[in-house]
Amino acid sequence: MKSHVANEASGSGIRWLAVGMTMLGLALMLLLHWQVFFWVNTEATMGVVQRIFYIHVPAAWVGVYLAFGIVALCSGIYLWLGDERVDMAAVATAEGGMVFTTIVLLTGPLWAKIAWGTYWTWDPRLTSTLLLWFIYLGYFIVRGSTENPEQGRRFAAVVGIMGALDLPLIHLSVTWFRSLHPQPVVLKPEGPTLDPDMLMTLMTGLLAFTVLFLGLVSFRYGLERSRWNLDLKTRRAAAS
Amino acid sequence: MKLYLAQLWAVAWKDLLIELRSRERVGAMAGFTVLVGVLFNYAIDPTLVRPEDIASGLVWLTIVFAGTLGLGRTFELEAQDGAFQGVLMTPVPRDALFFGKVLSNYVILLVVVFIVLGVFGLFFSLDWGSSLGALVGGLALGALGFVAVGTLFSAVSSGTAMGGALLPILLFPLLVPVVIYGTSVTGRLLVGRPFTEVEGQLRILGAFALVALAVGAGLFRYVVEE
Repeated sequence: MKSHVANEASGSGIRWLAVGMTMLGLALMLLLHWQVFFWVNTEATMGVVQRIFYIHVPAAWVGVYLAFGIVALCSGIYLWLGDERVDMAAVATAEGGMVFTTIVLLTGPLWAKIAWGTYWTWDPRLTSTLLLWFIYLGYFIVRGSTENPEQGRRFAAVVGIMGALDLPLIHLSVTWFRSLHPQPVVLKPEGPTLDPDMLMTLMTGLLAFTVLFLGLVSFRYGLERSRWNLDLKTRRAAAS
Repeated sequence: MKLYLAQLWAVAWKDLLIELRSRERVGAMAGFTVLVGVLFNYAIDPTLVRPEDIASGLVWLTIVFAGTLGLGRTFELEAQDGAFQGVLMTPVPRDALFFGKVLSNYVILLVVVFIVLGVFGLFFSLDWGSSLGALVGGLALGALGFVAVGTLFSAVSSGTAMGGALLPILLFPLLVPVVIYGTSVTGRLLVGRPFTEVEGQLRILGAFALVALAVGAGLFRYVVEE
């Protein structure tokens, strides 16, 4: 087991980055909510409920694509190099990713109940996102239930890599499975042509969610690092 | 290469010999299969749905559940008295160890597959006859991918405090492709559709198995590392 003594200076650097990003993210969130509730036009066919789209889509971008991509990448690098800092980045990202994926799974059905007439359908995206949530869950369970923390980190990395490799295949196979059956009449892919104001709001959403996510993850990373340093100090004190 | 195969076989044969003498896992899985067949019989109201219409789903879920039951015990015996440390200290490379474990699990699961076919054929008077070869081929191909992923995660779950209880949570999300394509192949062959119709799905099951074997072999050493 390699150890990396993180110095205090870079620790406080992370903290300032986290504070800055989170504040900026929250400010952008305020802007986003003003745009969503007061500024952007109501969508013609779906009505007011369509506004959840500006929360749902950015959360999906962050939780499903960005976060899980980073988790998979960090898992691979951690197994390769064995550097704990990469694992800290992975676990911080995975926690953020699970929170944002939960937001996706909560906002989706709220919208679907009105737009499609049902809370849940076995649409490929819904299915893949639900399974991704369970892959995140497995990631945390294996981390937390080993006697040796280093073993837990390796197990989690293995779960992250397997999940990332299998997820595209899961998505492909559920897509194929659905395409065998007639789609419910309520479930129609909406046209991607967006009105400029709506596109603008969506862009604010994507930016706000990404910045806030990175801020929260930096906080979580800083915490993980403080924990590591504390652990190291305790062990040193015990040894001397 | 010859040495590698000999090492692989040594690991697999050790497990199979233990199984042959104790019949612990096959016994538990076979009992599970027959009893699930009985429960399914009473869970399905034949005036509402004909069992043969959902037979492929029943077959696959029984294989997955019975298989998970058996896979969970892959490393259980060796966890006692530090026996696994002994296995790790032998000069067998980690990937050969993985393939050996996959092979022994696969043989055991194939026995269960035949029991499922026999029991469900009998209980629900299904006719496997018309394309038995392709049917068994599809089940065997799907089972290989299942066993490859399952063996890797069985090593993970055995290392945790939760043990076998964790295995389904790790394994089931990743098995969705196997269940979808496997059920489709079995279901279509069962109603007498031509082989050409399931060829593409068989290929995907094969590709899943190959990728799962390769990735599992690559990741296995990080799971059993001390």
